[in-house]
Amino acid sequence: MLISLLLILPLIECLILFLLKKEWLNNILILLYAVIHFCISGYYLVDEAARFGGKYFNIDNSNIIFLVVLSVIFLAVAIYNNSYMKLENVEAKRKRHYTYMLLIFAQAMTGVIISNNLGLSWVLVEATTLASAYLIYFSKTKTSIEAAWKYVFICSIGIALAFVGIILLTIATGELSSLNFYDLILNAKMFNHFWLKLSFVFILFGFGTKMGLAPVHFWLPDAHSEAPSPASALLSAALLNSAFFVILKVFTLLVIAECDSYARIVMLVMGFLSLFVAAVFIYHINNYKRMLAYSSVENMGILIIGAALGGLGMFAAIIHLIGHSLIKASFFLTSGNILEIYKSKKIKKVTALLNVDKKTGWLWILSFLGITAFPPSVLFISEFLMIKSMFRQNHYILAFLFVLLLTIILFGLAKVVIKMSYGELDGEKTQELQENAKKLPFTMYLPQIVLLSVVFVLGVCIPLSLDELIQLSIFGL
Amino acid sequence: MENAFIILFGFTMLYVAATSRLAAHVNVLVLQGMLLFLICMSGMNEFSLLNFLFIAFETLVIKAIVIPAFLGGLIKRTKEYRDTEANIHHFYSLFIATVVLFGGFLISNLNFPAMKLINPLYFGVSVAVIIISLILITVKHKVISNVLDFITMENGIFLLSLSVAKEMPMIVNLGVLLDLFIAVFILGLLVKHINTKFDDMEVSHLSDLRDCEYVD
Repeated sequence: MLISLLLILPLIECLILFLLKKEWLNNILILLYAVIHFCISGYYLVDEAARFGGKYFNIDNSNIIFLVVLSVIFLAVAIYNNSYMKLENVEAKRKRHYTYMLLIFAQAMTGVIISNNLGLSWVLVEATTLASAYLIYFSKTKTSIEAAWKYVFICSIGIALAFVGIILLTIATGELSSLNFYDLILNAKMFNHFWLKLSFVFILFGFGTKMGLAPVHFWLPDAHSEAPSPASALLSAALLNSAFFVILKVFTLLVIAECDSYARIVMLVMGFLSLFVAAVFIYHINNYKRMLAYSSVENMGILIIGAALGGLGMFAAIIHLIGHSLIKASFFLTSGNILEIYKSKKIKKVTALLNVDKKTGWLWILSFLGITAFPPSVLFISEFLMIKSMFRQNHYILAFLFVLLLTIILFGLAKVVIKMSYGELDGEKTQELQENAKKLPFTMYLPQIVLLSVVFVLGVCIPLSLDELIQLSIFGL
Repeated sequence: MENAFIILFGFTMLYVAATSRLAAHVNVLVLQGMLLFLICMSGMNEFSLLNFLFIAFETLVIKAIVIPAFLGGLIKRTKEYRDTEANIHHFYSLFIATVVLFGGFLISNLNFPAMKLINPLYFGVSVAVIIISLILITVKHKVISNVLDFITMENGIFLLSLSVAKEMPMIVNLGVLLDLFIAVFILGLLVKHINTKFDDMEVSHLSDLRDCEYVD
């Protein structure tokens, strides 16, 4: 019942908005869905007995973490969005469209995470593309058209290739005529290895496009930089995770069928390529939202590397996923504040952030410290464990490369963040910018403060229950 | 009979590769939709009304009428009738398409144990169609031709799904159809906006978003 509420509520809300067309409804409806989403996933998190498996949708140990992360991010974004949309001067019709699409986008992501059927997951992943296309196109400029076009086109082709992978997987299943994950896992040992391996390549590249793995990440920097900041935060912190979840599910089948060694190599290659691409581009970046987007590419690379390493690496990957989502959401939301103050996405136009607005400046610096895994950021634990896992498996060269690429990325990010945060501006300009900063209400800082606090607390101490849940989720996958 | 339709389906891609007229391209989509319907019908083992109606709706109504009509209207509205400045000459794309299609037929003739799980001719031709479409997407220069080639690729994937004798659940089939339809619709809308905001419909104009400032 509750699970259907998660999926049906946004549709009802869209209908209400469509019929009433009242402007004050926009934010209330988004907030309402976010709060209910948060409560329901919190309930399933606390009450283990309530989790269940249905024919098409289920909530179990494997997906509860993903669901809770999505809820937290969505709630933070909804609170931020409330004030953000008030600052945006756009006509009522466009605001309504934005609300419809944001609701459907969140619903589709929820669907991907709780769906129990590979075919249905595919349908919902494509639905996320279509719903978020409008969010990217929201500002209706030349560049946002370009970003939306690339996003829809590249992702649709990627997802179409993932469908080829799913068809190949149905060939591999032989007698079994079902795409239900439970059935697939039960019968995985009997699958035809040739078709299974072939299908994984397509599924990895297809859903990898959506997840933002190099070399199929091209839509990501454009889309993330052009979308309004709340939408960028959702794209980066929630959407990429859902695609990762589907890849993990299919990867589990290969592990059970014992033909995973080759899949691990492909995943490692894509992971390191993502780190490399991020390192190269972040080093010469000129737009701070694009910088965050490349940082997402980097972190998705780290996630897939962790999954490929397996065991301890997988444990680290799940911690990394939680940490990255919280920090990246905070980072993108703060970038929204900067954009509101400076009215530019160019790095060279932003300087002396700490003088202009202390809160935004510190949030920017703390988000940076979080994402680059300075202790006590929780990402320090995950990256440390990942390197440990590489040492355990005697991948010394990989560990060296991993650390080297992360250091280059750290340098690139630090250069930009320091340049933007410190420095001097002349008095008149500072005053003008401070006027802009005064317009920002406290709700445009609150979500980031909460998210970052969670990240740094988790970095000091991961509660035992969370540790157990992560272990269970790895087992469930 | 079934095989004749499949081979004909493969040959339609040669025409797509050779022509620069977008209207002809749309006509090929109509033809492909009808061929897919005929392939489904001749390959059907047992007749069930619900299944028949769904296939007829998917292939004849959506693939052969609605999408081509929508794109035909789009071509008229944007007044883009030809894609003449493709990256490589049409003769060479025709040549490449022929080679790929030939490769597809060769795949159909492969004989190793794993191939026993599928219908080889469906598989070979659909793989060829998907690859040719992907190549054409990279070769063609207009945004509308990219959408057209995307749909031929989807048709190829549809044929591939027929090579597996198993059926997906109805909810998945419906979802796939809905997604395809909305994707085409959204791409169409974006094409319209590109038409109003940009001088012409060349893909190469969509390159304002970049990381470095180049000096041309």
